[in-house]
Order: sequence, then structure tokens, then C-alpha cells
Amino acid sequence: MQFTEHALLIPCQGDAMVGVLSRPGTPSTLGLVVVVGGPQYRVGSHRQFVLLARRLASAGYPVLRFDYRGMGDSEGEARGFESIDQDIAAAIDALKQACPSVGGVVLWGLCDGAAAALLYCGATRDARVAGLCLLNPWVRSEATLARTHLKHHYSARLLQVDFWKKVFSGKFRVLQSLRELWGNFQVSRSGALHQGAESPFQVRMAQALRQYSGRVLLLLSANDYTAKEFLETASTDPLWSGLLHRPGLERVDVDGADHTFSRQQWRASAEQAVLQWMGTFKP
Amino acid sequence: MRPFPPWARWPTGLRSKSAQRCSQAVVDAFFLPTPQGERFCLLHVPPAGQPCRGAVLYIHPLAEELNRCRRMASLQARALARCGFAVLQMDLLGCGDSFGDFSDATWDAWLSDVGAGRQWLAQRYDAPLWLWGVRAGCLLAAASTRQQPDVPARLLMWQPVVAGRQHLQQFLRLRQMAEVVQGGGKVGTDALLKQLEQGQAVEVAGYALAPGLAQGLAEATLDALVNVRQVVCLEVVAPGQAQGYTASPALAAQIQRWTSAGIAAQTTAVEGEAFWQLPEAQLCTALVDATVAALVDA
Repeated sequence: MQFTEHALLIPCQGDAMVGVLSRPGTPSTLGLVVVVGGPQYRVGSHRQFVLLARRLASAGYPVLRFDYRGMGDSEGEARGFESIDQDIAAAIDALKQACPSVGGVVLWGLCDGAAAALLYCGATRDARVAGLCLLNPWVRSEATLARTHLKHHYSARLLQVDFWKKVFSGKFRVLQSLRELWGNFQVSRSGALHQGAESPFQVRMAQALRQYSGRVLLLLSANDYTAKEFLETASTDPLWSGLLHRPGLERVDVDGADHTFSRQQWRASAEQAVLQWMGTFKP
Repeated sequence: MRPFPPWARWPTGLRSKSAQRCSQAVVDAFFLPTPQGERFCLLHVPPAGQPCRGAVLYIHPLAEELNRCRRMASLQARALARCGFAVLQMDLLGCGDSFGDFSDATWDAWLSDVGAGRQWLAQRYDAPLWLWGVRAGCLLAAASTRQQPDVPARLLMWQPVVAGRQHLQQFLRLRQMAEVVQGGGKVGTDALLKQLEQGQAVEVAGYALAPGLAQGLAEATLDALVNVRQVVCLEVVAPGQAQGYTASPALAAQIQRWTSAGIAAQTTAVEGEAFWQLPEAQLCTALVDATVAALVDA
């Protein structure tokens, strides 16, 4: 299907956010808003978000990518992914205004963009969000980092030839490594997640996922530390118990892919998974 | 400033309320049609009633450096607009939000995009033209002066790439590093260069580099500027290093060659982080201030 691209200035609390809408000739009733994560702006690492938007638009889905306030080309003060609810709401408004046929929207986010999408649903319970597409969601804390490091780094090291070479040649600093291991073990057991007065964002993410009644696509890169940390958290932390098996959640793992799907084949697999999943929505 | 032609306006229904409510903003966003598809553009204009001191065309760096420089470019464009400059930021073919895939990009297509940007500004602003290149964008700016010798330009260069060939090799090295990290076989840059010479694209850090881009980049230099009176180079150095700064031998030699050719060329260092290299967004406000000062005093 043919589509056109349009530059938008989206008002948000007095600041203008820059966005680009990919609009199919006959837009579907389901739209998608890309919530940008990390230090990226609306095109994404190696234009991942641009290519995704074009792929989806050519299949009939209108897609809006935008820079939240303080990022990329947008006005305003920089703020973290935990404080962009108003920005996401304004983007959904803009998409619906530009494509009045759109009923519901999917929020698509990578890394802390996925975290922001979940936090938005938890905080606003916006009924317009028909689905969530979460890629390698960001749940990092000192405890998750240490746990993941313990599990993946140390066990992988034991299987590496060069590790044993170092051990036998005396280059392996045994004491320092043991100290590091013990430190990681202690932090991993500390449960740092659940302390403090205000709920940490990871807790709010889990609560949001439990309470959200729409459909969820969880897309994980096989070769990504952030994804490993997420899985580690989801399988060990009681807060996340059963969440990956909740009704309406589909999980797709992309073999070999790194955090940003930096090869054409990985990017295509991720796009295909999103496209297939979107195709199963009932109008 | 002349009114926008119809194609530079948003389609009716898209602009409507949002544009009115953002009327304080000095930024305008639009797609500029070219024979090879649309180019995404941002225009920053001086406050109403202020005369235009100069028209500035931003020429972005290569691949992921474009993304990393985006916030700095945005801040700089706004700062220049507040001081009376009209600034056009254009994404080249296959870059940013512009039409095409990165693998469609060739050096010549990019040069003609720069030409289109120059023409767009010249039609609207009767003011001195600045070409503001960042990194490899400086090479394009230099080449553009040769391509449009009749129109005078001044050059502003941020952290200029002096030799395209070296820049290409550094870019290809990213692929080499990725192979090592992912446990793949070792791929030397020579093998990748050979692949390009044989007419095959090479995928580097998520970007498919076409032979037509690689070749043009490899041959690009900052030499032989045409109809250029002034070059302002700004480099970012680590904190504490600005005093006693001397340009790299390659850049110093380049400045010497420009000076011999009768061009007023100088290089200045400001202190900050190497934002074009760092994955986490870094701002260097000293560079923004120094750039404004250099252009206002020019």
C-alpha cells in the first residue's frame, strides 16, 4: 500500500515536539506510536524506527515516531523515561487527530522506551492503548545487574578456553575475581528493588503489566544483556510472578539479535513479528 | 522571508491546531521534494522583526554520528536563530527521516542534496551563506563549494574530518569490532574495501554502505575550496586541554593550505565531551557559545 510521510509539531505543555507520521492511503483502525528509548531520537539506532514505520505503513498501519521533550529536535527540558506520560498522551492525540479513523493505538518501545510505555499504561490507564509492544524492556537496578552478571558472565567464562589459559598461565587474578563474585552475590541478594518509600519504576512496571488488560507482544533479543536482565527479573522476582504467562501476552525471541537489532536479518525478524501480531487484532 | 510554497506546508488537517499552539516556536518541520524523493527539513528562523544576519545550512555527519549529534545540532540551530540566523537542517538521502534507505545513498546524491538545500535558502534569504558541516559533513561542504563556484559561501566546521579515506576506514573498523564482540570470524578492513570495490554493499553497525558512497567518501578532501572567504573550525578537547591546544598535524596543514590560498581560516578549541562518539547524549554548551560568537563576529 502507498503511504505518505508528514512532519508534525506536537504541542505538549507549551513545548513543541517534533514527530513524523507515516500515513497509509487507507489507514487501518489500529495505529502505532513509537516511544523512543535511551539516548536515541525518533529515527532510532541505524534508523530502526524509520524502517519499522515504513514497513507497517505499507501494510496499512499509521505510525507516529516523535522526540519527547528535551530529546532530539524537540523543545523543552530533558527528562527521564519515567516522566514522559504527558508526552506520550500528546503523541496519541496527534496520531488520532491526523488519522481520525484510528480507534486504538499500540505503544511500541525498545529498552527504556518499553519501560516508559508500561509506566504510561499504569499511570494513566488510557483506554486508547489497545496493545503494547515491548522490546528488551529495561528493568536495570544494581540487584538485577549483579544477578544477571553472576548467571551469564561467570558461567560463560567457565566454558571459555582463554579463561582457563589465563588461570593456568597465572594471569587470572584469583583474589580480585573472587571478591568481585562475592560482591555481586551480596548485591544480588539485597533485594534493593523493594526498598524505599516511593515505588521504584521496576515495581510500577510489574504492577502495570498485571493490571493492563490489552494485548502484549514481548520481543526479546537472544544476544542482549538488557533482555537477559529482564528475563532474570521476571523469573525470580515475586512481583513478576506469572506475568510472562498472563493471558494475552505473546513472547517472540529473535535468534542472534543484539540490543538494537543491528543487522538487516534481525531487524526484519522483529518487524515481521510485530506485523504478524498486529494482524491478529480484531477491528 | 518569502512565504512557504504549498509543498512546504503541512497538508490541511495535519497542521491545524498544533501549529497555532506552537506559534511561539521558531522551528518549522517539513518534507522538501527533490527529484529523488522527499528530504526531511527543519527550519529555525530569527524572531519576528529581526533582520537575517545569515543563512546557515547544516550538513550532518555519517551514520550513527548523525544521531549522536542530533541534540547538539538542535540546540545550536536554535541558539543561532535567536541571534538572527536562519538555519536549515536537512537529512540527506537515506538518512534521518528522509526518503530512501541508507544503502541508496551515494556521495553524488548527497552533494546534490546539499545543492538543493543551498538553493532553498538562497531563494528565501538574501543573506551571507554559511555551510555548517559536522565531521564528514565538512567534506561535503567543501565539495559543495566546488560544485557551486558562483555562489560565495563561508564554512563552519565542527570537528572536521580532514581525509575521507581515513574516515571510511574508521567506519569499516566498527564492523571489525562487532565481529569480534559477537564471536564471529575476523574481517579486516582490507577485505571490506575489496568487497566495496567489487561493487557489493557492506553492512556496518546496521548501515548498509553502498560502493557509490564509499568511493566518494574515500576521495573527499577539504582542499581546493572555491569562492570561500572564511573557514571557522571548532574542535572539542577534553576538560583542561583547551589552553595550549594545537590542531592535529593534518588539520594544521590544511589550515596552512587554506591560508596560502587567501582564505581566512582559523581553528579554536573548546572543552567538553566527544559527543559525536558517545552513545549517551552529551551536551557541550561551550561549543554552542563559541559557534554563536564566531558567526556573529564574522
